[in-house]
Amino acid sequence: MITENTRPAANSSPRLTLDEWAVLLALAAAILIRFGVIHRIPW
Amino acid sequence: MADAIALPQNPPLSISSRFLRLLPGVALLAVIGLAGKFLEKNINLCAKSHHWIIPNIEYVLWAILIGLAISNTIGVAGIFKHGIATCEFWLRAGIVLLGSRFLLGDLAKLGGVSLLLVFIEISGSLVFMTFLGRLFGLRPKLTSLLAVGSAVCGVSAIIAAQGAIDAEDEDSSFAIAAILALGAISLFVFPLIGHALHLSDHAYGAWAGLAVDNTAEATAAGALYSDSAAKLAVLVKTTRNALIGFVVLAYAIYYAPRGQARVVANKAAFLWQKFPKFVLGFLLVSILATVGFFTNDQNASLANLSRWAFLLTFAGVGLRTNFREMRRQGLRPFVVGFVGEIAIAAFTLVLVIGADQLFHL
Repeated sequence: MITENTRPAANSSPRLTLDEWAVLLALAAAILIRFGVIHRIPW
Repeated sequence: MADAIALPQNPPLSISSRFLRLLPGVALLAVIGLAGKFLEKNINLCAKSHHWIIPNIEYVLWAILIGLAISNTIGVAGIFKHGIATCEFWLRAGIVLLGSRFLLGDLAKLGGVSLLLVFIEISGSLVFMTFLGRLFGLRPKLTSLLAVGSAVCGVSAIIAAQGAIDAEDEDSSFAIAAILALGAISLFVFPLIGHALHLSDHAYGAWAGLAVDNTAEATAAGALYSDSAAKLAVLVKTTRNALIGFVVLAYAIYYAPRGQARVVANKAAFLWQKFPKFVLGFLLVSILATVGFFTNDQNASLANLSRWAFLLTFAGVGLRTNFREMRRQGLRPFVVGFVGEIAIAAFTLVLVIGADQLFHL
């Protein structure tokens, strides 16, 4: 039986997932808008 | 290790090279999205000036149609592939930003109802798809992947489940192809049914969020009806996405004692790893909007930025749908997916109409 603990630790450095990058980018954009760095986003 | 094969090692790409290779595809998404916006505006203007009566076709549908036309005629060159794959990234960023349009009070009311609907939908779909897979003699893991894909959240759920239950790559390609093809069909069929039944924006949005499997297609199906429907479709779909970890964990626990999957040693860590983090981002932005962190103008800008992110996503939905490639995957998974999706769509439609009567969605 394979267990989770038998998996080799191929890469120990924490890497952000696509999901986390998307959240960070969206929050960064929200902060830039909140503090007036970006004034208005037209549609 | 006797069966180790020395594969040619490609040198790791630098961050700048990885970024640069995304640009052509992202530019293509932007061009298609903008073309969709251009067509929506100008065809409507042209119709008005000539007093023609034509249905208002939204940029969403134009962007999807242009993408579908390119993908299924001339095809998409390799140089664009990495950038086109970012459409899931833009979708998640767009959902986080859309949090600015939901106050916590709305979330508590609609989220509570949608959680109840989602529980019923997930349980019903898992049972029904498992029954169908067995009836059609599909492999057990392919059946499980189709069940997870149609019950929870399309491609992300299938990929998460594939890792957890050690399913074959071939099975997950079958399941993903079936879910994507059915998602593309639902984009055209759902709005027609919604209009024919005179569903309210909220009822339709809840239905799209419950019955359309992939988040991008569910958002697009909602946006094809109205902005308000898109908002609710995203909320309900996000509720489904939030439950992905629990469903995948249940499958891993089912397969592990049979020696067909890894034993999950730390269940909390497993749930956190599978939990879609954009749901947390969406909630955080919603909290910030509720406590007045943003002015009304800033909220409007955040909502517009979310629409731009969705514009790139919708262009990608069409571009990544290639019917010829899907046909090559075989017919039986499609038949199971098709029959299952029709049943789930009918079941969730009844569910939503009932909930609309009871809770006034």
